[in-house]
Amino acid sequence: MDKQPVFQARNIEKVFPGVRALKGVNLSLEPGSIHALLGENGAGKSTLIKVITGVHHQSSGQILVDGQEVRFGNPREAIARGIGVVHQERNLIPRFSIAENIHMEKLGAHYLKPIDYAALNRDARRWLQALNLEVDPAMPVSELSVAQMQLVEIAKALSLQSRVLLLDEPTTSLTPSETDNLFRILRRLRDDGASLVFVSHKLEEVLDICDRVTVLRDGENACESRSMEGLGRQDLVRLMIGRAEGGGGWRKRAVEHNPLVLELKGVSTAIGHRDVSLSVRKGEIVGLYGLVGAGRTELAKSIMGKFAVTEGEVRIEDRPARIRSVAEAIHEYGVGYVSEDRKGDGLILQHSVLANAGVPIWRKLSNAFGVLSDSRIRAAVTPFLQKLEVKTPSLSQTVGNLSGGNQQKISVAKWLAADVKLLIVDEPSVGIDIKTKAYLHDLLRELADSGTAILVITSDMPEMVALADRIVVMDRYRVKGVVENNGVYADMSEGIMGLIHDAERVTALSRQA
Amino acid sequence: MKTDNTLLRLARTDWFGPLLVTVLAIALIRGFSPNFLSSFNIQILLLAIAVNALIAFSQMIIIAIGQMNLSVGAIGGLAAISFAGLMQVWGLSAPMAAIAAVLIGVVCGMLNGLLIAITGISAFVITLATLSIYKGINLGITRAEPFYGVPGQVKAFGSALLVGPVPWLAAPTIIIAFALWFMLRRQPIGRFILAIGGNSHAAELSGISIRTTMIVAHGISGLLASVAGILLVSRLQIGQPSIGDDWLILSFAAPVIGGAVLAGGHVSVGATLLGVVIVAIITQALVLFSIDPFLVQVVLGAMILAAVGINRLRETHLGKKTGKA
Repeated sequence: MDKQPVFQARNIEKVFPGVRALKGVNLSLEPGSIHALLGENGAGKSTLIKVITGVHHQSSGQILVDGQEVRFGNPREAIARGIGVVHQERNLIPRFSIAENIHMEKLGAHYLKPIDYAALNRDARRWLQALNLEVDPAMPVSELSVAQMQLVEIAKALSLQSRVLLLDEPTTSLTPSETDNLFRILRRLRDDGASLVFVSHKLEEVLDICDRVTVLRDGENACESRSMEGLGRQDLVRLMIGRAEGGGGWRKRAVEHNPLVLELKGVSTAIGHRDVSLSVRKGEIVGLYGLVGAGRTELAKSIMGKFAVTEGEVRIEDRPARIRSVAEAIHEYGVGYVSEDRKGDGLILQHSVLANAGVPIWRKLSNAFGVLSDSRIRAAVTPFLQKLEVKTPSLSQTVGNLSGGNQQKISVAKWLAADVKLLIVDEPSVGIDIKTKAYLHDLLRELADSGTAILVITSDMPEMVALADRIVVMDRYRVKGVVENNGVYADMSEGIMGLIHDAERVTALSRQA
Repeated sequence: MKTDNTLLRLARTDWFGPLLVTVLAIALIRGFSPNFLSSFNIQILLLAIAVNALIAFSQMIIIAIGQMNLSVGAIGGLAAISFAGLMQVWGLSAPMAAIAAVLIGVVCGMLNGLLIAITGISAFVITLATLSIYKGINLGITRAEPFYGVPGQVKAFGSALLVGPVPWLAAPTIIIAFALWFMLRRQPIGRFILAIGGNSHAAELSGISIRTTMIVAHGISGLLASVAGILLVSRLQIGQPSIGDDWLILSFAAPVIGGAVLAGGHVSVGATLLGVVIVAIITQALVLFSIDPFLVQVVLGAMILAAVGINRLRETHLGKKTGKA
């Protein structure tokens, strides 16, 4: 292609204290294309995006817009040169109107000149129409759906004459139909000559919509601005992780005769579970599958003592357990819980790696006077952090500064260190990349082999099939049935969906009756 | 159906609840004490409201950016004794002294904003420190003795009536309330203040200078506090060093009653004014019914709690998704 690139990054290096995040990366964007930027967590994607959008300065290397070298002092200057970003987190003022959000940028020129809202609304309507967004521009942004807010952000970027538009994981919180709509719009923008950069972990989407691709690995180009033609999913994975994707790794494990670690008999809870029975044996991995809203996380939290069990019996290691608090679950019964919401529930982001990994064992490690020493905690958690290959400059690093994958590893490591008998893992691979996911799976299997009982909650069916010995299917706060896993994806998905749909058919029938 | 909708819409506005409470309170108190709506009593109420509204606005503008200003009273006090002192000691004319006092207030406020912007330390800590500094300067200058030499024209202004029972003191407050309303509604600087309170990260990416806006907001806060101090000098007829000592709770109570979100991004001038009115009426009522004046503090505290609770209910039940940024 001999089109002049709109944007070029040449030999970009970025050095942070102690880390070389980018080691000479190239990227070149052409008009009228959707360019995928791929890479695993820690490959340098986010750093590159920050350099492109003026948040960070490159340590060396050049950035060219329309063939001219530029230097962005801050995000504003990047925007002024036509580089727009739609971030993962929403960057709108919730109580302001759509029109005002779109034009916020232009109001900055005067501090006192009264705002002409009618004109703002008129102008905003033009951009909204271009995106097929049928909403009143005077409406506050807080009343929109997430997908609509995203479109407003795109409208905002377009209204600033952006020619390069970066979309960072734009589909994470969208439904499939919203995603389709977004893709239709992106394709049209591409046909109109825009240069879009699409950052995503979802390879299916990348294959669907992108025509060019740059892959980063360990801060270097694994491939540079090449055409997507002839590339399949496996090729992309190989580029990203440097080897082919593992075949799931499921293997038959004989656990039928192990003693029960967790047993629920006809359990009902204060938040609506009815007659839930399930069991997990020593060394067994039991999957808990269900659609969103099936009550799986809530069941896990009930086991952990967060919600009251109103009926039935919970037995742990064959003795009745009345767990009233999370502390009791950990210290009396040896039950650990890896939260699905790492940031909200699982980790204390402002605290250090050491403090996070050590939380559950503080009680155990404290001496007779209840005093903790860092060295004892360090000795207890380091083997597990190493085993999980947590990448951190030091144990005193703040967890919030680490990548998502490393955060997830720490939230697992802290329970390993606590030496729990039963580990409940909730959505272990949300937001982490393929390589880390595979490691995490190996780790959970090893853990089970060494005797820990594991209850995995996941909505990712391939993950479920790769991990579980048995799969318990839940729907609407009830257990619908159990499927023995044979490691064959097609069988399992059929069996599981059968149970869920059966349930729906039965409830539909009973409603008719 | 239609009326339901109207009611719901009204319940969602900030001013409807406080207005309802105001009307009910007036009706109720009037029922027990016919004197309540006497011309003299209304005049006393308006005098209190005129000054208190400025105090409330001074805090409200900082709540709008999602911060707090503990030094509102200290700035007001410093401006008040400067105003009186400049007239008594240096013999400045009243307008000149007022301008100087306002300037002092603006500088004190901007200094707050500047310190917060430069250090990145929370407004709570910075304004707690400057509260002590400004108050210390005040006491250093006055040695805790009032300035008595307030000229007659200033005293006259403090007690003169504009029309009917409306005192002249209310005039600056009315003008300022309109100006604030216009600024927060229609002027970019006002919108920037609210934008920063709503989502400072997004505001910054939209090219709004957080630093400038923050300093301007604190400057406005200082300006309003100093005007309140000056008005209070002309009402009390002396430059009392203790002016401002009891402003803090009131300054938060009125905006909160007026539906302000303490996290920032949402305040209402009209509803805050109603908040001031409610506080004034209830304080007045306690006096009328000769209830222990020390109870006023208790009632004020209870009202803040009630208002916060009601705001929360409104958020969860009436506001659709008030998307927390």
